[in-house]
Amino acid sequence: MDDFNDELFPLALLMDELKHDDVSNRVEAMQKLDTIAIALGPERTLKELLPFLNDVAQDDEEEVFAVLASKLGDFIPLIGGHQHCEPLIQILTILASMEEPIVRDKAIDSLNKISLELTPEELNNIFLHLIQNLSQGNWFSKKIASCGLYKSVIVKVNASIRKELLNLYLKLVCDEYPMVRRSAATNLPTLIDLLTEFTTLTPNDANKMNNDDWDIISKMFQHLINDDQDSVKFLSIDVLISILEFFQKLQDQRFNSEFLSSSLKLIKDESWRVRYAAAERFSKIAKNFVRNESDLFQLIDPFISLMKDNEGEVRKAIAKQLPSFCELLVSYPSTKVTILNKIIPVVNDLSQDSQETVRASLASTITDLSPILEKQATIEKLLPIFLIMLKDEFPDVRLNIISNLSVVNETIGINLLSTNLLPAITELAQDHKWRVRLAIIEYIPKLAKQLGEPFFNDELLSLCMSWLWDPVFAIRDAAVNNSKELTIIFGSQWAEHEIINRLLNNGGNITNKKDSTTTNATTNDDELDEKIDDDDDDNTNSNKIDYSNFIIRITCLFTITRLIPVIDYPIITKKILPFINNLIVDSVPNIRFNVAKSYLIIGETLIKNKRKFNLSDEELNKIINTEILVNLEKLQNDEDVDVRYFSSKSIQGIKDLVN
Amino acid sequence: MDLDTDVPMEDVEEQQLSKSKLSDSKSTSNTTSSTTNNNASGSNPSNLHDDLSLGTINQLDEWIDKLSKCEPLSEADVKRLCDMAIEVLQFEENVQPVHVPVTICGDVHGQFHDLIELFKIGGPCPDTNYLFMGDYVDRGYYSVETVSYLVCMKVRYPNRITILRGNHESRQITQVYGFYDECLRKYGSATVWKLFTDLFDYFPITALVDNKVFCLHGGLSPMIETIDQVRELNRIQEVPHEGPMCDLLWSDPDDRGGWGISPRGAGFTFGQDISEQFNHTNDLSLIARAHQLVMEGFSWSHQESVVTIFSAPNYCYRCGNQAAIMEVDEQHNRQFLQYDPSVRPGEPTVTRKTPDYFL
Repeated sequence: MDDFNDELFPLALLMDELKHDDVSNRVEAMQKLDTIAIALGPERTLKELLPFLNDVAQDDEEEVFAVLASKLGDFIPLIGGHQHCEPLIQILTILASMEEPIVRDKAIDSLNKISLELTPEELNNIFLHLIQNLSQGNWFSKKIASCGLYKSVIVKVNASIRKELLNLYLKLVCDEYPMVRRSAATNLPTLIDLLTEFTTLTPNDANKMNNDDWDIISKMFQHLINDDQDSVKFLSIDVLISILEFFQKLQDQRFNSEFLSSSLKLIKDESWRVRYAAAERFSKIAKNFVRNESDLFQLIDPFISLMKDNEGEVRKAIAKQLPSFCELLVSYPSTKVTILNKIIPVVNDLSQDSQETVRASLASTITDLSPILEKQATIEKLLPIFLIMLKDEFPDVRLNIISNLSVVNETIGINLLSTNLLPAITELAQDHKWRVRLAIIEYIPKLAKQLGEPFFNDELLSLCMSWLWDPVFAIRDAAVNNSKELTIIFGSQWAEHEIINRLLNNGGNITNKKDSTTTNATTNDDELDEKIDDDDDDNTNSNKIDYSNFIIRITCLFTITRLIPVIDYPIITKKILPFINNLIVDSVPNIRFNVAKSYLIIGETLIKNKRKFNLSDEELNKIINTEILVNLEKLQNDEDVDVRYFSSKSIQGIKDLVN
Repeated sequence: MDLDTDVPMEDVEEQQLSKSKLSDSKSTSNTTSSTTNNNASGSNPSNLHDDLSLGTINQLDEWIDKLSKCEPLSEADVKRLCDMAIEVLQFEENVQPVHVPVTICGDVHGQFHDLIELFKIGGPCPDTNYLFMGDYVDRGYYSVETVSYLVCMKVRYPNRITILRGNHESRQITQVYGFYDECLRKYGSATVWKLFTDLFDYFPITALVDNKVFCLHGGLSPMIETIDQVRELNRIQEVPHEGPMCDLLWSDPDDRGGWGISPRGAGFTFGQDISEQFNHTNDLSLIARAHQLVMEGFSWSHQESVVTIFSAPNYCYRCGNQAAIMEVDEQHNRQFLQYDPSVRPGEPTVTRKTPDYFL
């Protein structure tokens, strides 16, 4: 490392690293290119580093090129400003002409980035030249590269050069190589959008768009829409949308009928990929025809035919467009009636589609139809479909319906919704797939808020309690959290009466103390919840919880602990503390260290809510010392290391809070 | 078949040697670290080591956090982890005692996301106690993350989780079935593979749940009649090609009675008579083992004297099987929980849309 001070050092180091045998080393070296350029300073970067990189760009592997290409995009400041850009652009041109798409795309991005820093003069000379050369290149990769560069100049040149450029681009659109045509088609919407923006922002510019320009663009579109390769043809849909948006902005409807027939041609194309692309963007196309009733009307039958398409992917895509398209149809009475008369019957078919992904896709959007159809039609037409889909054998379908029900609620009200859907929800709550049960639990707080307390207590509470004893932990955990959410909605007293009293067997003691367990090896495949009898409100012995099972005790502890931050002070001291104090001698260490964690939560809650609970410092200290710390200190001497750890941690946590 | 009872003798000798080595290192570790709680040590073998220092705990928690996102540890951290793990595992017994309640699990085979699913079903460690019966590596794509995670949990909560050795926790097998290649791919060298395979030698080979349920990866051995004979083996070595330690990790139960030649080329097959005799001799209620793919995730054999548990759902991402774990509660009631492969967020649903490069 003697030559560390040598001012040539950074470059020498880079050159060394770039000769490394392992590609990953060379890639890593390239990643530090900007650091090296900074070390060298602008002048030497320009005179020494760039010539060197120019050589590298012709002799290495694609991974290295890709990094080089993206790094060079930020090099303008490092070479001392845009006036020195030429050698930089030269290197990037080499990279952009490569056949490897990753390198090419990165180089094009960098070139476009650099173009932003150039003066109009530099753009007109260097950049324009570059584009012209590449567009007329002798190899397809150069032409592909050029397609990505037009966007940096198209609105910065005068009208005659623009026309020249568009003609050049037209040649690319008609190129013999499909790859070139595809690249031209992919980049065309961006160019049109730029021209749209240019025209709307500066409508009276000296270089504003003229009919000649549009002739060329429309020729491009005609070529694309008639391309014999469907991989090119389907790209013309985005071109069409951009063109439509241009005329929409100018409020120019002269060519509407031509555009409509082009749209219909694409929608009805014989290649399913084209139809798929059209289906995916159907509403985007349709919204440009909404000004004219008959135009919009002509799109309804094609829409329906896509819903009945032979190809599942197409049906899946069009199902996603249902609400947005129907929203457009509401604009006129004549089109509005077709929603109920023509579209809903097909929706009905689609809800029983043979492909599950189609049904899942429909399920994610169908609920959004209810505000469009309004109350009566939702009840008559949509609810039956929801019910069918709620019972679908594919879980995603059910899930998508449930998670989007709130919009239906807004339309028809909770009562109608719940009386119709409750049976289905209860059924799902017992689904054998636990993720389906989970989805229902997560929807419960929302439902509870809208149902109100009495209705909830009657219809859903016992279901919520039963989830606490689910065999799957994730469901129990969700049920524990659900109790907290419900307590936030219905309040502390409700929690005491409906949850806490039930879990504590109305204040009874948990009995499974240390060393009292009997070993009794029997086989029992039954689910946990069968150990707990159904809970009614009367206090017979039969509805008490059997605490002999560890999972039941720990779930009670988890539930009670989760409730602590959202319940009132008297419940904490009268119910919860005695319950937790009881568990410090539990036979299972896992319970004991969770007790230690619970004490911390109680401590935190009491300290945080001191004023809300109207606690004096004396009272607070008394509880913390006599009820919490004393017990934690007992646990700190436990025989189990984890109990010792968590009790020490809780003691520390409480002491930190007190001070 | 006649049993050659002389065979284990060699092992016993070696074991005594290693035992004296072990107690040496133990006494040094006891003098170097200090603790306020001595009341527990001695009563429970897994409590032999002292409470972890706060720094170590934070380090482990950090690693567990990282691993639970399926991000592998650095090579240097794996080295530190393995050193810590040896400190814990070398003091465990060949027949590691385990208390109820505990959840018993079978093969995982590098299916990390399904291991996370397992914890969603059974509850997170340390709140739930776990006993894994081997085969953490090979086959799946995330052997490194899986085994690192489990070993981390073991070091962090030695009383809450027990990890036994499977036949795949071996230098030879991992070179064929993927763990070696995965280490090479993820770390660029075989160092991590070497660290883990060296650590595997310390894994206990069987566990005994409250003296009633005997847990091990494979099955019984014609050279083992009593559990005490397992205690006498020297397990700190590569899994041998034959002999009792090999059999415990390789054997399978079979419908035919007696001992049979295993089609696997290692271990034996054993019939109902063998299992019943073994359970009777050792006053056991059950042998729990893994090692074989079972479509329902668990499967009884030998009139409920042996159970096979397999915890890798859709094994090798193609078998279409369910996975299961077995919860044993304080009354020794057993409950099997079955589960399917995890849902991986962000993974696109399979579509028929042809990628552009085909056209």
